[in-house]
Amino acid sequence: MSFLGPIGFGLWAYVALGAAALAVSAYIIKMRRRRFEVPFARLWQRVLEQKDANALWKHLKRLVSLLLILAILGILLFAALDPTLGAVDREARSVVILLDASASMKAMDGDEAGTKSRMDVAKQRAKQLIDSMGGGDVAMVMKVDGQATPMSRFSNDGPMLDQIIDDKIAASDTPADLPRALGAAADALRDRPHPLIVIISDGAFPESQLGHVEWGPPRAGAHANLAAIDLSNIDVRYLPVGRRSDNVGIIAFNVRRYIANKAAYEVYIEIQNFGQEPAHRQLTLYNGQTAVDTKRLDLAPGQHVRQIYPKIPGGEDNQLRATLRPVDGPGGTDSFALDDTAYALLPARKKQKVLMVTSDNLFLEGALLVYDNIDPLKVSPAEYAAKPSIADGMDVVIFDDYTPDALPPPPASLLFFHPTGEHSPFAIRGMAQTPHITEIDEGHPVMRWVTMSDVYMDKSEVFAPDPKKGESTLARSVTDPIIVAKRDGRRKILAFGFSLPANGRDSATDLPMRVAFPMLLVNTLDWFAGDQADLLTTYATGQRERVPLDGVVGATEAEVKGPDGTITHTPVLDGLATFYGQKVGYYDLTAKANGKAIASISLAANLASASESDIAPSSSLTLGGKQLEAPDAFAITHSQKLWIYLLLLATGLIVMEWVTYHRRITV
Amino acid sequence: MAAPATFVPITRAANPARDRSGLFDEKFLKTLEHLHMVSRKVFSGNLRAERRTRKVGSGIEFADHRTYSRGDDFRYIDWNLYGRLDKLLLRLFEEEEDLHIYILIDVSDSMAIGSPLPKLHYAMQVGAALTYVGLANLDRVSIIPFGDRLTDRLPLSRGKNRIFRVFDFLQKCPIGGKTELAECMKDFVTQNKRRGLAVVISDFYDPQGFEQGINTLRYYKFEPFVLQVYDVREASPKLHGDLALVDCETGETKEVTVSRSLLEAYEREHAKYCKELESYCTKYALPFFRTHTSIPFDELVLKIFRSGGFLR
Repeated sequence: MSFLGPIGFGLWAYVALGAAALAVSAYIIKMRRRRFEVPFARLWQRVLEQKDANALWKHLKRLVSLLLILAILGILLFAALDPTLGAVDREARSVVILLDASASMKAMDGDEAGTKSRMDVAKQRAKQLIDSMGGGDVAMVMKVDGQATPMSRFSNDGPMLDQIIDDKIAASDTPADLPRALGAAADALRDRPHPLIVIISDGAFPESQLGHVEWGPPRAGAHANLAAIDLSNIDVRYLPVGRRSDNVGIIAFNVRRYIANKAAYEVYIEIQNFGQEPAHRQLTLYNGQTAVDTKRLDLAPGQHVRQIYPKIPGGEDNQLRATLRPVDGPGGTDSFALDDTAYALLPARKKQKVLMVTSDNLFLEGALLVYDNIDPLKVSPAEYAAKPSIADGMDVVIFDDYTPDALPPPPASLLFFHPTGEHSPFAIRGMAQTPHITEIDEGHPVMRWVTMSDVYMDKSEVFAPDPKKGESTLARSVTDPIIVAKRDGRRKILAFGFSLPANGRDSATDLPMRVAFPMLLVNTLDWFAGDQADLLTTYATGQRERVPLDGVVGATEAEVKGPDGTITHTPVLDGLATFYGQKVGYYDLTAKANGKAIASISLAANLASASESDIAPSSSLTLGGKQLEAPDAFAITHSQKLWIYLLLLATGLIVMEWVTYHRRITV
Repeated sequence: MAAPATFVPITRAANPARDRSGLFDEKFLKTLEHLHMVSRKVFSGNLRAERRTRKVGSGIEFADHRTYSRGDDFRYIDWNLYGRLDKLLLRLFEEEEDLHIYILIDVSDSMAIGSPLPKLHYAMQVGAALTYVGLANLDRVSIIPFGDRLTDRLPLSRGKNRIFRVFDFLQKCPIGGKTELAECMKDFVTQNKRRGLAVVISDFYDPQGFEQGINTLRYYKFEPFVLQVYDVREASPKLHGDLALVDCETGETKEVTVSRSLLEAYEREHAKYCKELESYCTKYALPFFRTHTSIPFDELVLKIFRSGGFLR
């Protein structure tokens, strides 16, 4: 017989002695009785005198009651030692079960028939481990996907842990972050006796994750590896799951518009056969619900295919989807469906209404004509002055060498060439003669791919931008701001200090003759529209990204609507929202201020992980150069727990004592 | 689980028996009148002041003979017997005189127990009823409360118009104390030279025993009339658990764990005690009545009348 209780014999003996002393003293201490007045106590005296003839028996009955109580106490304390029939020769352990819930655990190869997923088998293994825990063993269950999430505290409550595994753990769409999980487990096990980590996984971890482990004491000084996970004195075991490796998956999928022709786009797709056999698939590319292209792929084992679909004409829908479907016949099986579909989004494209307030400026009109994504309208300054409401409903208003008395109302963005006077949108502090642009803000979207170092201009207004109002300088001549921009709520305002050449003007610049001029206009209109050429809208799941939200002012939080319709919230800082894709599919991020949506963006999330798509199970796992063994310490011992029977016996004795006391037998 | 109603804890301040203001109301008076009418029917033919006493004197009704002693009146020598038996014997006659009735009511603390009617109240009602009948029959009646001593007395009175004094006396007389029957009876016989009927109404819960007190009455030629009053739940208490039983008179405490067998033993002991009292009275041919407070007092009084133990 073994005793697996959580307390030692010494402490147990103290508790037993204390409890026995309490029980005996309870019998010795005089009972406080209720007082009642009677008319003639002599009668009771005579009765008691007769009863006292049986005093010995009475004392014996009290002794029987005391012995019953002591027996109950003894049985309960004995049960607390968790007496177990059958030998167990190990000490109590503290166990962290790392249950891999990454995307590859969705592979349906848990059994030969393909009816169970790896996750199902992993859960089954975890529950077997928990059921075989001995007395004193405590376990914590931790879910490992893109994050490491402890699902329980350390507990020896087997049914509770089993229920957590059944109800709260499911495979996600993200790769596993094993180093993070190992670090969290090591921290949880710090200073606990006999620490043990059991990894239940298919072993689909990138090599880069497996080297961050130090088994010995951490090195100090210059050789210290700050990223290393200290697993010294911790026993780490590995329980593999998974059977098959046949999988063809999309490991990269993205799309972008052409800079010159935003009506068209090109698609990049990367596919790999991770199986040991040749595979045949049908790849179909959808724009919305419309199939754009379909082709058959014949992939050799391990073959890696990159596909580019150039110059695909734009459709009404911005959502792109690529699917892989097995082809009937040999090489058409696939155990892992998650990477067979990938999603991408085209950056939003909107035709802008542009109002030009100009006196027949050929350079300006000509440059705008090359941009097919606008709907231009031209009026003269006199017409505009007579009817400013003409700007209502416009997305962009361009003032060419004309400064209106009042700015058009938002949300129209404004482009000024040579604003003057007190109505200028930017304060003017002087005039510069023959300025040379010496510095530009290359990080600003308007100045991207633009060179202005040798542009000639005979004169230019010099602005006095106020950074406190969000005004920034895009180009300056030594210290004189020549081109300035600012956000004014949701709209944007850009001003050039010089005017473009035109009939009747005495100013002169060669900017319209340069390549930079149409580029400047296109960049400006794209910036006004919030369209950034290098904006990525497709991300990998399980990674934290910062996504720009155009025009966000005053919002600290954005609402994220996931592929399954769930609503979560993410922080927004400096116009950048944090995005973490938990599932593959389309997401909508909406920033709100005062209850109104002020900016939104749609994003797509894909697994996009070759290591996760490579579902070939690994029967062994090597961490930090050490191959992990199976957790034989949890081999199930055939033991018979006695505490339940002892508890039943104690309950029976308590009932007997209660009955005999209340029937005044043991009183 | 039944409440121990019999043994409601009693303190001196909260003694429910002290409030006797509503004891003798109009309804009570009507009941008394009814009892008087009934008593006249039961004893029709009796004349006023014609109760025969045991006292041998100068009446006309022959009672007995006794041996002649020197100094006796020659006129009462029965010469016929002398002629036949050659012995000098005197003829004795029953003397006819007013009957003296002494109502002795136990007012000790044990009489204060009882629910809903304390035994003391019951005893006072019965005592008042007997007093009224006696007064109405032109007997001389005195009421003497007793506990550990004779606390007060209502002097011998005659005529039923004195009944209100009786009520007033019973409502105001001091109560409480222990029961010391022997001492009280000794005082009683010392203070009352005129023999008569001594009605003792009590629960007879005297630690010293009841015999000596009643014997004192007998030795001094009084005619004891024993009326024992008890409460039903006093005889069959509904108790349970671990209790400290406190004697309401002596303060003596008995710690008991009340079990069913103990209760049964107590009931037997109580019955035995009552039986002892009854046997004693039977042995000495004393009128004896035992009643509990649940029986209406007028019913008890009628029962006494019918038995002929009170008035003959």
